[in-house]
This record gives sequence, structure tokens and C-alpha cells, in this order.
Amino acid sequence: MLAIEAAGLAKTYGGAFGSPGHRALRGVDLTVEQGTAFGLIGPNGAGKTTFVKAILGIVNPSGGTLRLLGGDPADPRIRARVGYLPERLQLPPSWDAAEVLRSTARLKRQRRAGPAIQRLLEEVGLAADARRRVGTYSKGMRQRLGLACALLGQPELLILDEPTDGLDPMARVEARNLLAREVARGATLFINSHLLAETERVCTRIGILVEGKVVREGELEALQRSGNRWTLRFGDGVSSELLLAAGFTQAPGAGSWTFEGEAAGLNAALDRARAAGALLVGLEQETKDLEQVLADAVGDGP
Amino acid sequence: MTLAIALDILREARSRRWIIALWGLSTLALVVVALGLRLEVVDGALAATRLFGSTLRTDVRAVDVALRPLYLAVSYIVFYGGALLGIVATADFAPTLLAPGRIEQLLARPVRRWEVLAGTFLGVEALVLAGAAYGGAGVAALLYLKTGILNPGPVVAALGVAVAFAPVYAAMLLSVVVARSAALSGGAGLLLLAAGLVAGQRTPLAELFHEGASRAVFLGLTALLPRLSAIATIGARLAEAQPVSAGPAAALVAGTLAFAFGLLAVAIARFERKDY
Repeated sequence: MLAIEAAGLAKTYGGAFGSPGHRALRGVDLTVEQGTAFGLIGPNGAGKTTFVKAILGIVNPSGGTLRLLGGDPADPRIRARVGYLPERLQLPPSWDAAEVLRSTARLKRQRRAGPAIQRLLEEVGLAADARRRVGTYSKGMRQRLGLACALLGQPELLILDEPTDGLDPMARVEARNLLAREVARGATLFINSHLLAETERVCTRIGILVEGKVVREGELEALQRSGNRWTLRFGDGVSSELLLAAGFTQAPGAGSWTFEGEAAGLNAALDRARAAGALLVGLEQETKDLEQVLADAVGDGP
Repeated sequence: MTLAIALDILREARSRRWIIALWGLSTLALVVVALGLRLEVVDGALAATRLFGSTLRTDVRAVDVALRPLYLAVSYIVFYGGALLGIVATADFAPTLLAPGRIEQLLARPVRRWEVLAGTFLGVEALVLAGAAYGGAGVAALLYLKTGILNPGPVVAALGVAVAFAPVYAAMLLSVVVARSAALSGGAGLLLLAAGLVAGQRTPLAELFHEGASRAVFLGLTALLPRLSAIATIGARLAEAQPVSAGPAAALVAGTLAFAFGLLAVAIARFERKDY
């Protein structure tokens, strides 16, 4: 079953009095399977936050179709199954954390939420500060409280906009563990973040949005594979001329060589090198980090 | 969900220092008046009355008759004071609720958009009613203890505030949906209150215009507005023990509430289409 199903989703802001307006989304097609950890990345202004807001009904799409957990996102019964953390979180400054969570529970139609609230406060590390006014919290504490609000009621779909923004390194690790537990529970995780290293650690599928369109989408590992580029290491005693003649290119670093080509070509080159006495001691397909994947996608454009 | 949002509004009001300070100041004013008011009623049913040391009128009259000017003044003070304090105290509720980062959270929850505005409206109305009733009942009780005369005028004026505040706050909500600003919201409330005063006195004010088109335009425009000062007058008439016709009073209240719900419906229609 699909957690998110967007087809041709479009959003144009403004456009009054004959002006064309700003096209934030230009027909986004995206599906997210239930139970996956999906990361949406893209450069600033790509339309990521607009997409998140559109799937939650916070902005009204200009076109396209959208289904959330198999139903209409406008249906409150569907939204009751979704947890959301906005990008610029604002909480009532004069309330304490327990009050914020109790109000959230009421609005999420959760009855007898007391034990769940206590457990969440402990999980996000705010149990000791539960009676303090939220206005006195640090940014990281507010973010953790926002995360607790999103997690309340064990939602089937978690939509988190910059979830680790403002958290210190230790809190980030805790948040990652918390999210991993949610995925293990069966929840679908949809993260929109510009913190690519964090996204890489949490998500297994990635979508790249550029200028309002999804330009890449797939398994993280598949996107990170750089294609047919391999790094090899050979044992000592083999001459560079021989390896160059076999088809390898010397790479920076002692004993490192690269090969670009299909697997069959690689094997043929290896056969030639081994016939000349070379001993292969290391082989791996080169991968790119998410930053490079994004840079390539942005370079290719929509 | 409407009720849950209304309760959140009341909870927010309770936790705001500004609202608590207003509540404390009202209580302080009541206490000061209770302790300091030189209001003397002598000899039971026929009495001379002095207020702040000055004789109200020289004649010896029935106590309730002698006190009517006082109750009249108190009724108007409760009505207009309550409405003005209500505008000042609640001007930033809706802008805060619709602030970036907060409204997204609210709209992502299983809440319909109309429930957000209806809940805010209901919560603020309950808050204003509670505040006005506290002040009105406090003044009525205080004067009862001082004079032995129980006059419902201040309490009716307090109920009148809640009715009159409905279109005022609906206008404030509409302004916030159009442009999120506490100053604009307060300004819209004051503007509607002022317009309501003019509408309540439209017949005598129409005499100021030349007969013909200008008078017709004035009467036409003010016919659409809620006659808020007329609601204040009901409380004042009751305070003066003047008869009040139930039919016109009910029509006045119904018309005021209809105007409020009309404005609220416009605000909701705008809110439904708005992107956050």
C-alpha cells in the first residue's frame, strides 16, 4: 500500500491580475511505499516545503491528484493517522510541555493520552523540564517537543520538515534512534531536509526535487552508485606500465587504481593484469555521497 | 474540535500575564470602589444619597430612584469598558494562532479549517463574557452591599458586551485572515465598535444630513451595521427601571448575531482558500 501518492501535483502562488505567478510545483509525480524511510532533498526554492504543505492540505494545490494513506488528505480521519513537524515550529510560549502535548492529544482525538505523553517526554529527553514554560526552552528543546507532538498517537505516516534542525550532535543521534524505532514499528517516514548527511543516515529511499519537479527517485544505494567506475588495489611488485597497459588508470594514493567501464571490460582487464602477475587485493564500486548526487541532479536539471 | 480549540484559547488566555494583569486590575478597581466609595443610603426606602461625598440630588426620594443615575452610568461603563478591554485583550489571539509554524501544525491535525476559526471565535466570546460578567456582577454585588438595592443593569450590560462583541470579534478575525496583524485586528474591532455606535444612533444622526441623497446613503449604509449602542441602551434602560420591549430587544440581538455570523462566514470562506 502507498503512504503518499502524488500525480502531476502542481502549485502556483500568486498569479493575480494576469501575472503568471510563481510555479512552486510543476507536476510532481511521487509515490512512497508504506513502511519506508523516504527523504526529499533539493536546493533552496525547489518546492520541497510546498510539496509537504500540499500533501497535508496546508496549501491548496493548483492541479494534480493526491492520496495519503489510500484516502483523501482533506479527510480528518486520514490526517488523524499522520504526524507532522513543521519547518518553522512555533509553540505557545506560556504553556509547559505537558500542556502542549495534552492539547495535541485532544486535537488528534487521542483519549487517555497521559501515559503516552509521559513516555514521549522521556523519549525526547524533556521529562525533567515538562513543567517549564516552553518560552524558556532552547531551540533544540522546542524541536524535541515538536517531534514528540508529531509522534503522539503512533501515527502511520510521519512527515518531518527539517527534524534535526537546531539539535546538538547528541540529540541528533537520539532523534535518529527514535525515528529508526518508528520505522521498525512499521511507520512510514517522510523527511524533508537540507541536512544531507542526516538524511543519508535515516532514509533508505530518496527523491530529488529541482525547480518543482522530481528529477531523481530511488533507493539511496542505487542513487549513490556512480555508474561504472571502480577502485582497485593491487599487491606490491607489479609495474605501473603493466597495469596501464591492461586498461587501468592510476588514482591518487599509493597502490590505488581506477577502471571505468562495464563489468565484462573490468574482468577482461583484470585477466590481463593477473596474467602478467598482478595480485588484486581490493575492489569496490565507487559511490557518491548524497551531496554529489544532489549536485549532479541539479546540474542535469528537470 | 471547535470546543477543543476554544478551550485552547481559554488556556492561552489564562497563561498570559497580560490577561492576568487585566483581571487583577479589574479586581483592584472593584476593591478600591468597595472600600473608598462614599455612597450613603440613609433611612431605608426614602433616602438621600451621596456619591463620592457629593449629594446626587437634594430631594429626599426613594432609594432606587435616587440611585438610577449611578446605575445608568455603571451600565454604560461596563458595556463600553468591557468592549474596549475585550478588543485590547484579544487583538493578538488570532494572529498568534495563525502564525507561521503554528498554523501549519494545526491544519495538519484532524481539524477542519472552519473549526479553527469557529473555535477561536467561541473561545474569545467565552473569555469576554466571563470578563464582563465578572466586572458587571462585581459592581452589582458591591452596590447591593452598599445600598441594599439589587439592580440587574450592570449584569445585563455585561451580557450585552458578549452580544455586541460577537460582530466586533468577527470583524477582527476577518481582518486577521486577510492580513495577520494584531494592530490591524484591534483597529478593525475599534472601527466596527465605532460604526456600531453610529448605527445605534442613526435616526437622530440622520437629521445632520440634508434630506435627499446624502441622508438616504447614510441611512442605507448604517442600516447594514449592527446597532451596538442600542444594545448598551437596553442595559441602561433596565438600570433606570425603564420598560424594555422584549420583541425589539430580541430582534436587535438576533440582528447583531446574524451580522456576526455573516462576517464569520466570510472569514471562513477566505480562510478555506488561503495558503499557509
